Amino acid sequence: MEYFRSGLKSVFGGTSFWKPTDGTRNERLVSRVSTSTLLEDRRDACRALKALSKKYRLEVGAQGMDVLRQVLELDRNDPDIVGYCLDTLCNVTSKEIFEEEGENDINMKVNVGEQFTEMFLKNSENITLVLSFLEEYDFRVRWPAVKLLTSLIDSKPKEIQDIILVSPMGVSKLMDLLLENREVIRNSALILLINLTKSNANIQKIVAFENAFDRLFDIIKEEGGTDGGIVVEDCLLLMLNLLKNNTSNINFFKEGSYIQKLAPMFILPPNLEEIGWSPQKISNFHCLLELIRTLVSPNNPVQIITACQKTMRNTDLLEALCNILMASGVPADILTETINTVGEVIRGNLTNQEYFANVLAPSNPPRPAIVVLLMSMVNEKQPFTLRCAVLYCFECFLFKNEIGQELVIQTLLPSNAGNTTLTTGQLLCSGLFSNDYLSNWFSAVALSHCLIENPAQKEQLLRVLLATNLGAQPHTSKLQAKLGILMLLANWMAYCPPAVKIFLNVPGAMAFLTAQTSASEYDNNEELLQGLCAFVMGLCVAFNDNSVPNYSKENLSQLIEKRVTTETYSKKLGEMSRHEVYAKAAKQPQIRAKHSSELLLEFEFCKLFKVLEGVIIQALGIQRDLSNGISELSLSERENALLLQYKELIREQDKKLQELQKISTISRRKIKN
Amino acid sequence: MSYAYLFKYIIIGDTGVGKSCLLLQFTDKRFQPVHDLTIGVEFGARMITIDSKQIKLQIWDTAGQEAFRSITRSYYRGAAGALLVYDITRRETFNHLTTWLDDARQHSNSNMVIMLIGNKSDLESRREVKKEEGEAFAREHGLVFMETSAKTAANVEEAFINTAKEIYEKIQEGVFDINNEANGIKIGPQHSPTNPSLPGTGGAGGSQGSGCC
Repeated sequence: MEYFRSGLKSVFGGTSFWKPTDGTRNERLVSRVSTSTLLEDRRDACRALKALSKKYRLEVGAQGMDVLRQVLELDRNDPDIVGYCLDTLCNVTSKEIFEEEGENDINMKVNVGEQFTEMFLKNSENITLVLSFLEEYDFRVRWPAVKLLTSLIDSKPKEIQDIILVSPMGVSKLMDLLLENREVIRNSALILLINLTKSNANIQKIVAFENAFDRLFDIIKEEGGTDGGIVVEDCLLLMLNLLKNNTSNINFFKEGSYIQKLAPMFILPPNLEEIGWSPQKISNFHCLLELIRTLVSPNNPVQIITACQKTMRNTDLLEALCNILMASGVPADILTETINTVGEVIRGNLTNQEYFANVLAPSNPPRPAIVVLLMSMVNEKQPFTLRCAVLYCFECFLFKNEIGQELVIQTLLPSNAGNTTLTTGQLLCSGLFSNDYLSNWFSAVALSHCLIENPAQKEQLLRVLLATNLGAQPHTSKLQAKLGILMLLANWMAYCPPAVKIFLNVPGAMAFLTAQTSASEYDNNEELLQGLCAFVMGLCVAFNDNSVPNYSKENLSQLIEKRVTTETYSKKLGEMSRHEVYAKAAKQPQIRAKHSSELLLEFEFCKLFKVLEGVIIQALGIQRDLSNGISELSLSERENALLLQYKELIREQDKKLQELQKISTISRRKIKN
Repeated sequence: MSYAYLFKYIIIGDTGVGKSCLLLQFTDKRFQPVHDLTIGVEFGARMITIDSKQIKLQIWDTAGQEAFRSITRSYYRGAAGALLVYDITRRETFNHLTTWLDDARQHSNSNMVIMLIGNKSDLESRREVKKEEGEAFAREHGLVFMETSAKTAANVEEAFINTAKEIYEKIQEGVFDINNEANGIKIGPQHSPTNPSLPGTGGAGGSQGSGCC
């Protein structure tokens, strides 16, 4: 022991943390535990060690750990002594700094608990041993065992996960705890499982295989559903852990008809306005919505998304979500998240999109839900995140939805001019020309989504005179308004020569782009504006049908080369895709801006940019070669030369083959004769 | 979709014997010649009919590699059926059957139905294990035996369905305690006596919807 003590002293700098009386007392206790032949004696000593283990955690841990482990093995049939040991180990390895050890400043410098945890985990048998105590029904044993495991997972999740994964029936033993009728154990087990399943797909799958979803839905029901307390939230959090990024479990969840069990939870009680939303109910609802979004996340494989979306429609879950959208008294953050969720439930699914298009708001006169939502999007008094959510939901409505795109554009066409009811098109138009620059950005992006992969609507929109009031114009002094409009133009002109033609005929358009692209200085994200201008300019070359005399492909290429220089041009274009704003926007379809100033680029535009950047460079490259006097013909001549070479080779080989065949027939004849 | 019973299966056996392909052929009716190595476990499901009863099969396809063996062990206890697969063109996968069987018997419940499957029967020219050898092994260890081809789909349906039939018969005989879900068997929602229908599903939700819109 003296050796150990001096060792510790050297580790911890030899401060006088060691009180002789307590120290010897502690030593005596440890020796009593290990040497005494009487169970009562050992039990008393263990109880005393437990009492000391907070204040003198360093001493108890350093001297007692091995002994405590021995007791767990040898005296495993005595619930009391096992309980004391487990509690003592729990205190010793805890991350928490106890009040009792306050005056000791060692714990501030070195995390003693963590070091003891590491010591304890060195032997993975220790965890198996603790796991085995979970099978013991006695509260005095099972409860401290759960506490110890919870505390260990809390400080060393990764290590414990690896050990539990290879301990025989490790996960099963933990799962059985969810059937506990003593709530304190069951609830602790929930928290333990939440921590255990974090980012470990293998454990997540075993937990799901062990009927976790059934257990959790049972507990949720017992605890009162969405009106239940924090235990309900814990159940939902555990489900979330099991499903996040785990395709196999999502598939299992869908196949196990669990979506059907989720659906009724979204139905709001009719008297909700009276009883209101408690903070806990709001938390529960957030988890529920996140759960839905995890199932239909755009990052999942398409066939899983489609299958989940279909089930969500068939089980009236989509309907219930839409009802929440239209209900009154829903807290703003729940409403925002519901809008995002509805978006992902309908995204790319024609039937669901159609359903959504037909949802009517209970206003007077009844208006389509889409119109009511867009009204919020172009209303600067609405919360910023809500406006972002509406845009995302609208984008999801239009995603791979030609009919939906057409419906919106149609409301803008001249034949509809006499219509007095408020339409989606009108709202977008008013947003586009509003003096709120965020409305400009939102509306421009929304409109651009009506055109994605839809050549017919690009041409239809050309028929529209995009101006509502005389003299009204976008808030173009703001960078964001400009970016929005340019992204709309880019989406419009890509693959659409008629749009390019009309653009080139706008007086001053090219001059503006040239000036921006050749600018050598910029501040505060202006490089995005310049890059976007370069991109639109490039589109004018790539999708040019040479119908505007002054701005033929060749003219424009020369303009870029002479006025901007190819070097500057490629630099501006390249800066775009290297920009962190671009990388952030390209990550996922949803706009994840926390503040309005982060609203710059948008996902679908980034996709377009990625595809067409190369096309533009190529278009410019070929044009450049032309002006350098190397024609396309000469290029193919080079290829021709190669072709001729091969032809020659084949001819030679053919000749040889024929000769050989001749010889062989001659020889065969000779043999016959 | 509603079902009378739900059975949990696992597919085990050496790496590369075609476990994932068998599952894919059974659930999606297609063959994928180049399949990624299974990491851990993958899930698949399909509905079948036995004795005019709808039975849902939930199948966990395990990784054959040694490194995942301990993970695979976690799935034995809760499974009602296991397909133990070897490759008829690779003798060593047949030789390892005893190890697999020992592992399965040690960690599963004693009633688990094990079906022995010699896969890749379409590759007759490269056969290394005679059909008779498979039959003998199955007889010796009390298993059901079948040769399949995940590529041509030969016997694939039969392998999964016959295993289910066997489990179904055991239920009829009262061998399985169907109220203990740890056996890998669940009674369908409408068949379970202790399942009060949830409020608000179907009709209720519909009526509320129409009232709101």
